[in-house]
Amino acid sequence: MNAFTRRKFLQTTLLGGLASPCFGLGSAFGQTNTAGAARASYEGVSDDEILLGTSAAFSGPSRGLGIELYRGAQACFTQVNERGGIRGRRIGLKLYDDGYQPVPSVQNTMELLLRDQVFALFGYVGTPTVTRVLPILKKFQEENVYMFFPFTGAQPQREPPYGEFAFNLRASYREETAGLVENFLGIGRRRIAVFYQADAYGRSGWAGVREALGAHGEQIAGEATYTRGAQYSGSMRRQVEILGRVEPDAVICIGAYGACAAFLRDAVDLGLEVPIANLSFVGSENLLQLITDSVEDSERYSRWLVNSQVVPSYEDESIPVVGEYGELMRRYDPEVPQPLRQPDYVPFEKSFVSLEGFVNARMLVEILDRLGDAPTRARLEEAVFTIRDFDLGIGERISFSEQRRQGMQRLYYTVVDRDRFVPLDDWQARFG
Amino acid sequence: MNMNVQKLFRRPLFGIFLLFGIIAVSTSWVCIATVDSQLSEEYESNSRGIAQTIADASVDIILNRDLSALQSLIDQFLEIQGISYIYIVNEDGEFLAHTFVPGIPAEILASDPSNTESVERQLAGADSYVEVGSPILAGVAGTVHIGMDKSVITLKIQQAVGRQMYLISSIFLVGIIAAVLLMNLAAKPVENLLAYAVELARAEQEGEAVRSALLERDDEAGQLARLFLYFSKAADPGKAAEGDRQAPVPGGGA
Repeated sequence: MNAFTRRKFLQTTLLGGLASPCFGLGSAFGQTNTAGAARASYEGVSDDEILLGTSAAFSGPSRGLGIELYRGAQACFTQVNERGGIRGRRIGLKLYDDGYQPVPSVQNTMELLLRDQVFALFGYVGTPTVTRVLPILKKFQEENVYMFFPFTGAQPQREPPYGEFAFNLRASYREETAGLVENFLGIGRRRIAVFYQADAYGRSGWAGVREALGAHGEQIAGEATYTRGAQYSGSMRRQVEILGRVEPDAVICIGAYGACAAFLRDAVDLGLEVPIANLSFVGSENLLQLITDSVEDSERYSRWLVNSQVVPSYEDESIPVVGEYGELMRRYDPEVPQPLRQPDYVPFEKSFVSLEGFVNARMLVEILDRLGDAPTRARLEEAVFTIRDFDLGIGERISFSEQRRQGMQRLYYTVVDRDRFVPLDDWQARFG
Repeated sequence: MNMNVQKLFRRPLFGIFLLFGIIAVSTSWVCIATVDSQLSEEYESNSRGIAQTIADASVDIILNRDLSALQSLIDQFLEIQGISYIYIVNEDGEFLAHTFVPGIPAEILASDPSNTESVERQLAGADSYVEVGSPILAGVAGTVHIGMDKSVITLKIQQAVGRQMYLISSIFLVGIIAAVLLMNLAAKPVENLLAYAVELARAEQEGEAVRSALLERDDEAGQLARLFLYFSKAADPGKAAEGDRQAPVPGGGA
């Protein structure tokens, strides 16, 4: 897909229409848009399959996010398919790698909609990617194309003009940053600086921090940025120096695990020893692994970490959906299919990201089941809105409606204890 | 003999070198001035257009939407060649979105955020930039600023001048080779004439008759050869009568 060209686009568009199982002499006559007719008649549903489409980061510095999210979702789908699928139709997942880059994500989405003709988009990763894909959904609105549960808490898919084309399950970055700010202010840490990715994701988190601080009459104490795709091997010393000059009480990071781990490492090395918070998107286990694998006294660094999460701890299997997740991850241990598999990536047995993927998939399975025996895109939104006070087994009732397109709001805060993430119960005791 | 011919053409060759040098320097200077002026104007004009486009598109985002949409918008324009940075400030001078890494430079933090005039900037540890601005909603919603990297213009000039110098050098080389060949061609009859004159002098001393194809030529060399023979015989009256039978009238045809 990386070598996508205009010629290839035209070829796939035309060939996709010609290759459609419903394209024939009868359907061609009397139609002004045969490709559109072919798409409308297939819609990603056959007698034995419902085909979903994903574009996510399966390569590059943020590949851990796409891989883990997929693994969690696939654990759920594998179980559903083993049990006969949804009303006789197995769930298929067409995957493309965008490397967490906007342009490939747009090209992949066009492939998914025009050539693969998927039923819905599911499991996208990242704000800069999703933000660029949203206008495509508006373009295809007459064909009722929806995006389900992207792995991003940004606002563009939660508000006009594109909010009506996406359904979110996780809490938003605005809620995550507001929660972090509230807790820091609550323990007297008022000078809050922001370290963020120089793109739409970083800006979304930055805006959340700004808004939350503004509500308390405070401002962002200082800010530093990094370029998307930065790796742990790179230096973040200049960013630490910039933030160090404003003497912050805490730093909120809005980034991916490679850059945020590098920032934590360099901050502690340069003496900036203040709580360093990360959002759920960071990929907590990937971040911690980078630290523990590269420094001898990892606790000296990880003791300053506090990460917000949008799902509960994967260790707490007393929560029904977490218990089910743990069992299915052990049973199936899903792998990313070839050729997207990364031979040098060792997946985590369990992680917050894969748990989120699992929860997303569970919710989608419920929605697809509610479509009945003849699922169509046209009835998809209506099916979503039948989810009211639904108990997914996560300890929070889930509802969707015309005005409510985000299923969950609850946040969880975690810190590192003996190289594992554990719930943070007392902010004052830890960082006061 | 060859040395005499080379000496004969040394000055014309030097003149050709000088002429090409003057052409190369003058055209390069004109090229630099033209490319610099036109590219600078074009880049500034394009940047103003882009700034205006972003300003127009920003109004709805700033008033109604999340700032991540604004960031996504300016990130797309950053892919245009020559655009090095973009930042948007609100009416209070607060930065709403920008593309700086690892942070907003102190020079820009200290500048007037509402200024829309062209400004030359030399940022610490970075290249030189020309910055243009465009107001959002007549300035009441903020200002868009775009910084163009001047090194791109310098590179373009270097490329244009380099291509021109390559062309002039090629023409110069071909011209020199052609000049040498043509001069050698022109020098050949003179060489032959000189050889004939020497042979004529030698034959005069030894009392022999000299025959040469030069005497048959219908050009200046032939006329000079016949003139040499005429003078040779005129200087020796004993041979004049014999010579009268074979020497043509000087200046006449063969």
